[in-house]
Amino acid sequence: MATLTVQQRGEVHAALMGEASNDREVISLTKVQLLAALVAADDWLDTNAAAFNSALPVAARVGLTARQKARLLMAVAQRRFREGER
Amino acid sequence: MTSGDTLAVFTAWDGMPPVSNYGTVDTRNVHRVADFDAATDETLLYEGVLPRNYAGGGVTLRMGWMASSATSGNCVWNASFERHQDETDDLDSDTFASAQAATGAAPATSGMVQYTDITFTNGAQMDSLAVGESYRLKITRNAASGSDTMTGDAELLRLELRET
Repeated sequence: MATLTVQQRGEVHAALMGEASNDREVISLTKVQLLAALVAADDWLDTNAAAFNSALPVAARVGLTARQKARLLMAVAQRRFREGER
Repeated sequence: MTSGDTLAVFTAWDGMPPVSNYGTVDTRNVHRVADFDAATDETLLYEGVLPRNYAGGGVTLRMGWMASSATSGNCVWNASFERHQDETDDLDSDTFASAQAATGAAPATSGMVQYTDITFTNGAQMDSLAVGESYRLKITRNAASGSDTMTGDAELLRLELRET
């Protein structure tokens, strides 16, 4: 799965700022700094995709599609995010 | 009218939304604000009449605003006048003068108010608005500007127009 395009990163950037505004969650970064963090996170996911795949049990590694593995990662990250909010 | 005297006051919700890309009404601790996005240029239009005691000294627009979530960075505001001259301007189309701009820094604490002034010299910068004439004042957050570095919404609270 390739990294996001510039436009897609821009859309995520806008969405992140919108969500923070709605929640009035303080962000101490400028727009440029937040975008740089987003790009770094996207690049990190790309760089470490193989490592994530290797970390999965063999059955999942060979049995799940790339989309299903992405969904798995997203589900865990989302749940951890929600737990962190409590 | 002397320098510094108030000519008009608007609350955020007095703003009329244009057809698209408009600032949106919101509340913050029961304060009425209008949110201006960080990624898209958004606008609201404020309507008034220039008081007859305006003495021709130009005007200064003072904008009171807060950051929804940011505690750093700058917000770029644009403002422009549209004069409604007697039997001259056709309101079926927009005729705003060139925008004047100012940049304000996000307060270090989200929820604190920042006051940012935009000055207009008498004449073309005010679209040659004359006393007793109707006008619109267009307020836009210039989110696309490279100088607008503030994350999240800017929450407009009040506007004061005073003689410079």
